[in-house]
Amino acid sequence: MSSSSTELSVDVSMPQMGVSVVEGTVVEWKKQVGDWVEADEIIASISTDKIDTDVESPATGRVQEILVEVGATVEVGTVMARVATNAKPGEAHASENDSASTDGTSEASAALEAAGDAGELQGDTAETHAGTAQRGSPEVRRSGPRRYSPVVMRIAAEHGLDLEQVEGTGRGGRVRKQDVMAFLENGGGAAAAGEPPMHIESPYKPDAPAAPRKPKSRLGRAEPAPAAAEAAPAGMPAGESGPLSRMRQSIGQHMLHSLQTSATCTTIVEADVSRVAALRARSGFTFLPYIARAAIETLHEYPALNATLEGETFTTYDGVHLGIAVSLGTGGLIVPVIRDAQELSVEGLAARIKDLARRARDNRLSPDEVRGGSFTITNPGGYGSLIATPVINQPQVAILDTEAVVKRPVVVTDELGDDSIAIRHMTYLCMSWDHRALDGALAAQYLSSLRKKLEGWPI
Amino acid sequence: MPTMTYLQAISDAMREEMRADERVFLMGEDIGVFGGAFKATDGFIDEFGADRVMDTPLAESGIVGTAIGAAVEGMRPIAEMQFADFISCGFDQLVNVAGKMYYRQGLSVNITVRLPSGGGFSGGPFHSQNPEAWFMHSPGLKVVAPSTAEDAKGLLIKAVRDPNPVVFLEHKHLYRRVKGDVAEGVYETPFSARIAREGTDLTVIAYGAMVHTALEATANLDGASVEVLDLRSLVPLDEEAILASVRKTSKVVIVDEANQTCAAGAQVAALIAEKAWEDLDGPVVRVATPDVPIPFSPTLEQSVLPQVDDVKEACRELIEY
Repeated sequence: MSSSSTELSVDVSMPQMGVSVVEGTVVEWKKQVGDWVEADEIIASISTDKIDTDVESPATGRVQEILVEVGATVEVGTVMARVATNAKPGEAHASENDSASTDGTSEASAALEAAGDAGELQGDTAETHAGTAQRGSPEVRRSGPRRYSPVVMRIAAEHGLDLEQVEGTGRGGRVRKQDVMAFLENGGGAAAAGEPPMHIESPYKPDAPAAPRKPKSRLGRAEPAPAAAEAAPAGMPAGESGPLSRMRQSIGQHMLHSLQTSATCTTIVEADVSRVAALRARSGFTFLPYIARAAIETLHEYPALNATLEGETFTTYDGVHLGIAVSLGTGGLIVPVIRDAQELSVEGLAARIKDLARRARDNRLSPDEVRGGSFTITNPGGYGSLIATPVINQPQVAILDTEAVVKRPVVVTDELGDDSIAIRHMTYLCMSWDHRALDGALAAQYLSSLRKKLEGWPI
Repeated sequence: MPTMTYLQAISDAMREEMRADERVFLMGEDIGVFGGAFKATDGFIDEFGADRVMDTPLAESGIVGTAIGAAVEGMRPIAEMQFADFISCGFDQLVNVAGKMYYRQGLSVNITVRLPSGGGFSGGPFHSQNPEAWFMHSPGLKVVAPSTAEDAKGLLIKAVRDPNPVVFLEHKHLYRRVKGDVAEGVYETPFSARIAREGTDLTVIAYGAMVHTALEATANLDGASVEVLDLRSLVPLDEEAILASVRKTSKVVIVDEANQTCAAGAQVAALIAEKAWEDLDGPVVRVATPDVPIPFSPTLEQSVLPQVDDVKEACRELIEY
């Protein structure tokens, strides 16, 4: 720290976000040690099992230390960082002064900074300088992990060898095929087999099965063993890989859990929503609040669908706590819940859905707003899909999927019983339901009743 | 078994096949009375007559086109290009007509086009080229390139009998330099690779004249056991033989006399990268002629064509790798 003898600092803690949240994970530090931060400025992004949000700095000052690494999960209230409040903006702190002399990687960056200071070298030229600086210190490269040829890695994987134990006789101590073969012949493989190999360079896992040879495969290499596939990136198309986001992991667990838990069935009916189409043209709403309103109304007739099933316990609810799936683009989706949705009109539902969707996309939902649903509506139809089989939002027993509304020629019957062909606004109402909690007849009855309400709008 | 030069073996193949099959006839520039620029058809006109040993105008497009027409009518013409370089004048007939006739119309084009190719004797830019890769890149054509007298005869007979158009690359520099025992009568050599020398430490893959360069370069290479694979046929390419050798040695040097970019060796290298990746213990190394015309000057020509020392150095480096 600075020369000041009085150290004043304020803790940045993992915040309490709603009553149900007990821990959070640091996703990203927006500020690093030594950075200046204003009070209420975002200092970190965190993720809970419900939502992602930002943490604001409780005070103005300089970030003194960061105690929780990115990716670590800590309990609510844990001190994540400290902000020194007696620092002044622009005043360099101790570690900044140190970095130039102690940072081992700084030779190239020093050259870069010098180039930048000169105010002339930019772009390619600066990169050239960085390259020159690196070439000037080849010993850095030599001290790195050894690299192995494909055949050496394959043999090592097949025999569970730790290649670090193999002496290389190739150029620069490179391990050649004959070195591995000699190592094996001298019993090296048997000795090493007992202990788990310390693979530094090789992506093979110790327990990976020996890659079977399949000459017929197009690439002439083992296909089924994933470890072997990783070992041959040259055969793979170019791309990027990285860990799934917290949200994707969470969604994945939730969806898989649902499919493994419930006996999921999907029932589909076709509905003529021409009347709603005419209304919404005037109101400016989407179809969703109308369908939600009708779905809520129909749930009163079939309360077994407004329910949860947890283990052996089946619970029906007096009010409809309606979950609405909101897509967050590639990041994932979130299902905020409208509590007691039965009390809202179409207009009220439209306003609430709009508000929840906006706040969901801004990461500003509170965790209590995304739990406690009793029935869920998802509506990917806006993206043009016609039919889907949604996954039930556990522990609920049904999820209604609203799809694209399209104009189709259909047979309509007038009051005299005469048939004619007309162009109508048609859509499919798809509902996945849990066969543990109910049977197909009930699902079909529910959807048919819902269809009648939509076709005969107003309710 | 008689000993023949590479050129005599080619003549013998044509003579035996013409004796055995009256559908076989020859076309080319100065192949009749003069006996051919390299004397491959010396005396043929006396034995078979001018109807089967046809002197043509200096028009490669016409030679190949006429051969195609005759083949469609059921004949088995052998067309000689005086130098492989001149085939560029007959390129359209060969690539667009002969190569695609079966695909378009289901007609067999049973022609053999002999291409005296390669350098090493100060022939200069128009008389030294190795154009095989052009034809490897053209579907419908087969491409073969013998390195020995025995294979020259067997591959040429096989080419004449093959129902597809076959481009037969005979290396001029081997014509009188290479000799060997050649069986009498007719026999076919399959369009597949041949192990010229067995080995375990390294594989050198080559074809045509470069097989001899590879054998000489690795005959005594610090005691290393070097396998030399003679491809013999470039289309079809003997993938199994290539991959089997790579699996055994894990290190490969590929030698091309042709210009480096997109040469036959490039295709072999790609094959190895795709299908033998997990057997490689070092980079696939290529020795080839740089992408320049072949110079007249003997000194310059030697500096661009792969020499024994070039192959030696490449092999040493890879073995030590």
